[in-house]
Amino acid sequence: MSESVLTMANIEAGYGGGLVLQGVDLTVDKGTITCIVGPNGAGKSTVFRVISGLLKPKGGTVTFGGRDIGGLSPSEVLKSGIAQVPQNRALFPEMSVHENVLMGGYAIRRDRALLKERLAMVAEMVPLVKERAKEHAGNLSGGQRRMVEIGRALMLDPAVVLMDEPSLGLDPKSVATVASVIRDMAAEGRTVLMIEQNVRLGMNLATHGVVMEQGKVRLIGDAKDIADNPEVASMYLGKTGHNA
Amino acid sequence: MDLLQVIAFGVLLGGVYALLASGVTLIFGVLDVVNVAQGSFLVFSALFTWQIWSLLGLEPLLLVPVMGLLMFVIGWAIYRGLLVRVAPQGPGMTVLLMFGVAIAMEGVLNIVFGNEFKSVTPPYFTSSFKIGEIVIPYPQMISGVLAVVVLGGIYVYLRKSWAGRALRASAQNKDGAALVGISATKASSLAFGIGAMTAGVGGVLLAIMYPVYPATQYDWIARLLGIIVLGGMGSIPGAIIASMLLGISESIASAYVPQWAPVFFYGAILVILLFRPHGLLGEKTREDVAA
Repeated sequence: MSESVLTMANIEAGYGGGLVLQGVDLTVDKGTITCIVGPNGAGKSTVFRVISGLLKPKGGTVTFGGRDIGGLSPSEVLKSGIAQVPQNRALFPEMSVHENVLMGGYAIRRDRALLKERLAMVAEMVPLVKERAKEHAGNLSGGQRRMVEIGRALMLDPAVVLMDEPSLGLDPKSVATVASVIRDMAAEGRTVLMIEQNVRLGMNLATHGVVMEQGKVRLIGDAKDIADNPEVASMYLGKTGHNA
Repeated sequence: MDLLQVIAFGVLLGGVYALLASGVTLIFGVLDVVNVAQGSFLVFSALFTWQIWSLLGLEPLLLVPVMGLLMFVIGWAIYRGLLVRVAPQGPGMTVLLMFGVAIAMEGVLNIVFGNEFKSVTPPYFTSSFKIGEIVIPYPQMISGVLAVVVLGGIYVYLRKSWAGRALRASAQNKDGAALVGISATKASSLAFGIGAMTAGVGGVLLAIMYPVYPATQYDWIARLLGIIVLGGMGSIPGAIIASMLLGISESIASAYVPQWAPVFFYGAILVILLFRPHGLLGEKTREDVAA
């Protein structure tokens, strides 16, 4: 039986007076890759902001590893084992690749041995981190930057990795590399929750799928079932009629 | 006057400018706050130095760490007590707040020290030494060298310490910094403290180089803002290059056309900004890591 690691129950959240999330229920199982899709304004990014502590929910609970993390600060959420790889623009452009990855271990900075161990682990998972260690992050291509962002997020050895649009703006070769790293993370037992506009890519990569609309979860299930759903196929995959 | 001599003066003056401007630009880089009170911090430190020197006859350079630490604490407290509350209202409000702080400090300094020039004149005030044909007054030499040493210390701190890296990270990408667990409030208060500390150290150097009175703050803040705009807002290397350029150009103008020296200073800024509107290193420092 699958073991849930992250649960959102009846989450309501928004900005100012309005509610973007209107009772979101979501369960993510350990070691899975779950892909959230949905139109713009559906509340996908708001789900990430609530989980990562950037936005305090107005109602409902967020449970991670049996602990309520709703409303914790981003730093506390990070230390609890949830790291985020944002859409883009998250690196420190004038720092070297090595320094960028090192900053991912800011929360464990006082434990030098652990820091060294994690750097070695990240270099093994993301070889670019070692190959381009001295290069300024600002000089890297989009795909390379995304790899460094992933490497940085892995420095705290997170149990859950939130990935916002991992394929955004990348060439096909870079997309394949990023997809391979995402699969590796799941194979190692990490849980990946991602938002992806490229629904075909997302559902191919994921084990589970979530469709959001107007601040609510519309569909949730196996990625294959979601991809085969006639409505999803028609709206997001450009297919008409039922799949065989 | 020999051109080499003038350039030597300019480099030493540029070193002092660089120290002072690096504080303003560090604050802007991390907090997006233009600290228009840096001139009053500087004058406060200079007049405090004068007071202690005139009362106790202490060697003024001994006050460098004292004034640096004092201004760090004052800067940190101003951030935690005032700025942190106003910062969410946007840059316009923070400029207004810091302008208010500057005016209030000037008023208090006027009451305490009076509106007249004060000079710290240690025994070496009128001494000088020669390198070849170049005559260098001790106050300028000491100030220039000390400024470079303190600046070097800040550089090493920013490069090698975790707190320094956190400041650089916050300056380069605030969202990215939050995602790795850097507290924006802690980084901002530290940056403001260090920025104020440069004014504390600079104030001691200023006191042994020039006569000071409370309203001198306007002259200094105008120069410092000119320097950080020229260097590129938020760029410490840019501020250092701009300081050297302006220190040397001002020194040359003072030697050959003294009445035109201020025009030379601001004219140089104007001309360079016409060709590089983002400042000397502005584009580089504000570069986004966008795909």
